[in-house]
Amino acid sequence: MSPAQPVVEIHDVSKSYTEGDAVREVLSNVRLTLHAGEFVVLLGRSGSGKSTLLNLISGIDLPSRGTVRVAGRELVTLSEHERTLLRRERIGFIFQAFNLLPTLTVEENILLPLELTGREGPTSRNRVRNLLDTVGLGTRAASFPDRLSGGEQQRVAVARALAHAPPLLLADEPTGNLDEQTGRKVLDLLEGLTRREKACALIVTHDPGLVARADRVLSLETGRLLERKARA
Amino acid sequence: MRQRLLARASLRHLGSHPWLTALSLLGIALGVAVVVSIDLANTSAMRAFERSTDTVAGRATHQFVGGPAGLPESVYRDLRLLPGAPVSAPVVEGHVRAKGGDQRTLTLLGVDPFAESPFRSYVPGSGGGVDLGAFLTEPGAVILTQRTARALGVKAGDPLEVGVEGVEKRLRVVALLQPGDEGSARAMESLVLTDISTAQEVLGQVGRLSRIDLKLPDGEAGEARLESLRPLLPEGAEVVRPRARGNAVEQMTRAFRTNLTALSLLALVVGTFLIYNTMTFSVVQRREQLGRLRAVGITRRELFSLVLGEAAVLGVVGTVAGLLLGVLMGRGLVELVTRTLNDLYLVVSVRGLTLEPFTLMKGVLLGLGATLAAALLPAWEAARSAPAVTLRRSTLEDVSRHRAPRLALLGLLVLALGVGLLSLPTPELLPAYGGLFSVLLGAALLVPWLTAKLAGMAAGPLGRPFGLVGRMAARGVTSNLSRTAVALAALMVAVATTVGVGLMVTSFRGTVADWLESSLQADVYVSPPSLVTRRGGATFVPELAEHLRATPGVASSSTLRTVQVRVEGVPTDVRAVDFGGTPVRPYRFKEGDPERTWKELEAPDAVLVSEPFAFHRRVGVGGTVELATDKGPRRFRVVGVYFDYGSDTGTLLMLRDTYLRHFDDPRVSGVALYAAPGQDVDALVARVRERAGNAQALDIRSNRALREMSLEVFDRTFTITHVLRLLAVGVAFIGVLSALMALQLERARELAVLRATGLTPRQLWSLVSLQTGLLGLLAGLFALPLGVGLAYVLVHVINQRSFGWTLRLLVSTDVLLQALVLALSAAALAGLYPSWKMSRANPALALREE
Repeated sequence: MSPAQPVVEIHDVSKSYTEGDAVREVLSNVRLTLHAGEFVVLLGRSGSGKSTLLNLISGIDLPSRGTVRVAGRELVTLSEHERTLLRRERIGFIFQAFNLLPTLTVEENILLPLELTGREGPTSRNRVRNLLDTVGLGTRAASFPDRLSGGEQQRVAVARALAHAPPLLLADEPTGNLDEQTGRKVLDLLEGLTRREKACALIVTHDPGLVARADRVLSLETGRLLERKARA
Repeated sequence: MRQRLLARASLRHLGSHPWLTALSLLGIALGVAVVVSIDLANTSAMRAFERSTDTVAGRATHQFVGGPAGLPESVYRDLRLLPGAPVSAPVVEGHVRAKGGDQRTLTLLGVDPFAESPFRSYVPGSGGGVDLGAFLTEPGAVILTQRTARALGVKAGDPLEVGVEGVEKRLRVVALLQPGDEGSARAMESLVLTDISTAQEVLGQVGRLSRIDLKLPDGEAGEARLESLRPLLPEGAEVVRPRARGNAVEQMTRAFRTNLTALSLLALVVGTFLIYNTMTFSVVQRREQLGRLRAVGITRRELFSLVLGEAAVLGVVGTVAGLLLGVLMGRGLVELVTRTLNDLYLVVSVRGLTLEPFTLMKGVLLGLGATLAAALLPAWEAARSAPAVTLRRSTLEDVSRHRAPRLALLGLLVLALGVGLLSLPTPELLPAYGGLFSVLLGAALLVPWLTAKLAGMAAGPLGRPFGLVGRMAARGVTSNLSRTAVALAALMVAVATTVGVGLMVTSFRGTVADWLESSLQADVYVSPPSLVTRRGGATFVPELAEHLRATPGVASSSTLRTVQVRVEGVPTDVRAVDFGGTPVRPYRFKEGDPERTWKELEAPDAVLVSEPFAFHRRVGVGGTVELATDKGPRRFRVVGVYFDYGSDTGTLLMLRDTYLRHFDDPRVSGVALYAAPGQDVDALVARVRERAGNAQALDIRSNRALREMSLEVFDRTFTITHVLRLLAVGVAFIGVLSALMALQLERARELAVLRATGLTPRQLWSLVSLQTGLLGLLAGLFALPLGVGLAYVLVHVINQRSFGWTLRLLVSTDVLLQALVLALSAAALAGLYPSWKMSRANPALALREE
């Protein structure tokens, strides 16, 4: 992927679901281009199609119409297996409910994406240790997730999502389960790390605080994507 | 190794549920142990028999054998006088029971030491360390191995008391042998060597030989030599190869061993369902987590391998434990198998377990194979997990509920397939087992739909006495259908298996009891003790039978001679009956008019065959069978097929007149006495006992006592089936326990929420107990019709195809109640630990641990 090439390109994407005899269109003619280093916020009410859009970008789901390109690859032309591998290599995920593996230690959770992408060894271990220090959990490497607070777990989730240095980070309401102060700390971290790693982040949120720091703010309303704040 | 961390996560997942993992391992281990132990017991018995056959046959290439009475000694003399006589040795062989020591059954082998060296190297010849003079000249002189002597508590020079068909004989140990290796020592541990004349005297075969062993060259030269010897054979004698004897025994006991193996495999099927339950549970429990793993880039193949890997770990550990347990259990079962074989088929003495590598390999393959097979579907389910950010538990349960009717439909189709397979008009067992498995699977697929319906209906009745907690308990079953249905299906199969096997045994016993009722009509039965209980081939000393028939108070009597004859080349029990003056005919025919059949039996070439004989040899009324009589091979017409549950390999029956026409054997094996009107039976028994005197130990039993003894033998031969059923019950119990415990432990967070919102520990205990109780009840209820169906298949299809018996299915309420109690008690026990754990746990911690 050349530096100038967009990380995500979405052209006239629509997504409909059949419910009984009726067809419900969740996304309608969506166009979007995301570049490396962009910190983008996606707003929208419940049921507006935010998660559907994340699913389409990550290749979890396919559009009814239109095209989605990630890292220059047209997702519709890829098999399910290829889409999974693309997701593994190129995308980092952060979930509202943290979703750390309860049976792996904090360090192992962060190491997982590196191992999955075949990057094991001392370099990877150093990177994990650095990330742990960065998220302020250097002393908790050997702890299991259930011993951590919600904020600490989400910090581990951020480190895990960025461990293999993906060009694209998708976050689905990452502060939804945290109090305001903890949420703010996590967002600081998320923004800082994303910018440091020069990744592109698309963050679904209800948090108005995040709007101010975003490069771009998008909003989904009745299936249409609107750009609220464009990059300067 | 890309999945190192995922594998570690899996292992820790197993380790974080130690109870469930341990119960799963126990399920696999028990399944493997049952199969391995039965196989080891079977093969040990067969190997012991082969060893003893090979030991007594030695290096003979061919054998001259006669009819039931053996060969006249003159045949051997004529053979030796032939120009260029072949290498040959005379043998007299029979079984005796030691009176002292461990009272083992011994093979008495009468040989000519001077002719032995080409055949049996262990027989001392001239020049050895044994005093041949004493061996040949001293009456009753015998030689044993040192190990056998130790077991019998004798040493060189001591007398050795033995019993032969109720007659006591006194032998004397003149020398002890020390076999050179362990194999020979084991092969000879039930062998007693003596000279020909002592063996003839002890076994009541004076002037006769059991056989003549020959050593002929291989190939055409040997065949030509054999042809030149045939004219020496008297009528009724023939040439056989030693191996044929072992093969005949193998064939005779095959159905018995196959059925034991099949029953043990049933335990493994139950174990497999339990493993399936464990693995499915583990997948369903982590479905959201698996969905998220898919979202972060774990491929389907990797998830599939992950779940199979977990199963493999369980499989390896469970199988190794199962092998060890199997060997331990095998040591106990080998005694049961040996006793059953001795009750039913042959004289075999098994000392110790033969550890066959093939059996252990089979155990490994079955254990691992069954575990991996059981995990395939859950692994596939895991791989199918949608990569999901938004999938919620409620969605999952919706999917399960919507899928239930479709699964039920599929279940009906699989059931129909099973019924179709079972109805195929073939004597083969494989389609029957395929049908049986399809029925189990079909029933399991019906469970989710039935559970949703029945648990929904239970909410009202449970709500009335228990209020909200009762309603919650019932609704919890339907709202967690993805988990409860799997657990219930596994439980149903486990409990149904115990019902099926239980009803099969009860039906078999009931049928045998009815049969005994109709076939034992005389008042007193007398017979010499036989080494093979059911066969009863031992004979009275001369004149004794007639003497007993003439006992005052006897109105009429009949006699029976049971003897083994080669029928179409296969050794078969033939019964020659003399009804005397009695009009009673205690046999029931499968078809045809009894009066006409009895009339037809009076023809000189007519026989009756038992139902299993007709089934195994594919012969019916109007067919013919060839018997190796003392007058040479003769064909007999089958004029009737009678019910007989005494022998699964089948028997032939002919009138004594017909028997005497074809066999030079006037002996009698049993006498049935009918008391005169008004004669007290107990007094008659006492009188018969008095007349019998001390010449021969006899079994003298009243009708009732014989019936009880017969049922006792029946029960003994079914002991091993009972043991297998108990093991299946054990596996089922563990299954119920682990499935329900898993279900409740998995609800820890939900229960914590309830505790946090004010549910007292007692209420929590009620909720968990009610729910596990409801699940146990449902499992028991589902298992009853399936168990009855399973029993129907075992009785009317599997048993019929294995043994040819017509059995009546008896549905015993005891067995059904036991199944319900099993399900409910395991359910009650399963609820204890989770409710105890949750009532003691800090709700906040439990909430956080999610």
